[in-house]
Amino acid sequence: MAGKWRAWVKDRFGLQYIQQHVLDRRIPKTSWYQGDGAALLVLLATLVITGMCMAPTYTPSPDDAHASVAYITERQWLGWFVRGLHYWSAGLMVVMVLAHLFRQILVAGYKFPREGTWLIGVMLLCLVITMGFIGYVLRWDQRAIYALRVALTMFWRVPAIGDDLVVFIQGGEAIGARTLPRLYAVHVIFVPLLLLSLVGWHIYLVIVHGVTSKAERRQPIASLDEHQRVYTEAKQSEHGGEDFHPTTTARTGASGFIVFMLALGLTLGLGPPALGPAANLVTPAFVAEEWYFAWYSGLIALLPPSVAPWFVVAFPLLVLAILIALPLVDRGPNRGFRRRPLAVVIVVAIVATMLFLTDLRRRSPWTGWPTPEPPSVPADVQLSPDAERGRQLFAAHGCTSCHAIAGRGRQVGPDLARISPPMSALELRRYILRPPEHVAMPDYQDMLSELELRQIVAFVLVAQTFEGEAQQR
Amino acid sequence: MLKWVVRGIGVTTAGVVGGSGIATLVSPTVRERRTPSWQPIGPLEQFEIGRMHETVVRTPGAAPAETGVYVWSESADQFIVFSRACTDLGCPVRWDPGSQWFFCPCHGGIFNRRGEPEAGPPAIPLYRYQWRIHAGHLEVDVFSVPPLT
Repeated sequence: MAGKWRAWVKDRFGLQYIQQHVLDRRIPKTSWYQGDGAALLVLLATLVITGMCMAPTYTPSPDDAHASVAYITERQWLGWFVRGLHYWSAGLMVVMVLAHLFRQILVAGYKFPREGTWLIGVMLLCLVITMGFIGYVLRWDQRAIYALRVALTMFWRVPAIGDDLVVFIQGGEAIGARTLPRLYAVHVIFVPLLLLSLVGWHIYLVIVHGVTSKAERRQPIASLDEHQRVYTEAKQSEHGGEDFHPTTTARTGASGFIVFMLALGLTLGLGPPALGPAANLVTPAFVAEEWYFAWYSGLIALLPPSVAPWFVVAFPLLVLAILIALPLVDRGPNRGFRRRPLAVVIVVAIVATMLFLTDLRRRSPWTGWPTPEPPSVPADVQLSPDAERGRQLFAAHGCTSCHAIAGRGRQVGPDLARISPPMSALELRRYILRPPEHVAMPDYQDMLSELELRQIVAFVLVAQTFEGEAQQR
Repeated sequence: MLKWVVRGIGVTTAGVVGGSGIATLVSPTVRERRTPSWQPIGPLEQFEIGRMHETVVRTPGAAPAETGVYVWSESADQFIVFSRACTDLGCPVRWDPGSQWFFCPCHGGIFNRRGEPEAGPPAIPLYRYQWRIHAGHLEVDVFSVPPLT
């Protein structure tokens, strides 16, 4: 009876065609790491469902948005969980989409007949990054509004139309009542519709053209006919092929499930991101981007002034152009990383650079910031009254805004306990009053009295002897 | 012939719906142009000579409406009103009264008291608002600095 009903449903809803062309087919053997696509699908489904559950409460108005996010997090049943899962799934989505991209570069997944699959994937990459960014802005806390301003500045730098782009995105002359509804519409209507359509198309092309198989990687393939022959032989052979369902679906599904469990674990362990103060452009703000954009922020911080203004426009466009051009430029017969060492070198170098820049941005040694607390002193050091007064003045005159002492404090200027050889009192006096031309340090000539200068020098002379990051008091 | 009819119907329908939709979407860019908007930031006596003052200006139509600005008073009737937006990417610079420099929290932009860049990626000085004295108050044109005030 159940079988009869199942057959009826399959027939009347046309499911037998899906079963025949999608599930009951042979494909070349897959590996566990090919589950990254399935993981992206699981994350996308999670984002759609959690997003749908938050959308009815979220209020896209500058006066209410922040409070509505707080309401979702603090008052709605399991709101903290849904928002946390949305946040961590979004972060993992960016990571996984980059992993997917790099893997395709390693195996040459963009080569014929899969150029279309690749180009749609590039569009999906852009959309995922757009979604991640706007989702972060919708929180409408202080970090969000400055993230928006940074993005607007990047658009503003586009030659000729920059000003118009900013007004278009803002929906008016300034960030205002029309800005958030526009961003919200893009986040919940425009991009999701486009994204889901393109994901469908991407998967359709994966079914039509398959994915880069092991058989294709073993030998050079010079023509489309040869590719067709190698691919067909592999999927139909006993050892080179497998049934898509349930063999492939189980393997890739397991990968997707592991990534989902990671999002779940992060949500339960760390919860949703803390909300900062409501968006405002008045109170001092020590802002930072989301962790998955930190590498780009680190890169921007290293740019010299002559490059910085145009780089923020040129770099994303250049990356996009390279990705689009890749299948047209790299038309060699080899696939897989064993036959393409250059691809391995490039991908490893890019990933290592991104990790390095992320860590650099986390430390941000270039950031100076007003730090009113005087530097601490090792427990076994007793300062003279003059040096103690100098320690207080060291903070009051902003030395702590840039200088660390024995590893503690800001790192814009040199760590004063690690100057080699240590400076004499006379050298310190001269340096403080009139720093060398090439050194980014205020000229204190008119800012210190003779007594204050002597006391600061007295402290720095002692501070130069502080060692390591010993016990401080 | 019939195929062309089908294509024509499709293009016409898409053109009417898409064209009007796009026109509505882009209209804020085309129809709204900035004109000077002079807004008070405080009575003149509020700005002590030779000191940096932190104050706010209201931008009509903006939300949040208030934006922080820094005012350096050179004399009783000479001022410099700095935008808080770093000229690198618009992060909010903060004045450090100790060193008398501005620090940006994002990418290492550092500016001196005159707003000139001292370190980091910024290539140009901090933006300065156009200001005027009106009825004993210092006023600035809120749209006299780049769009991201």
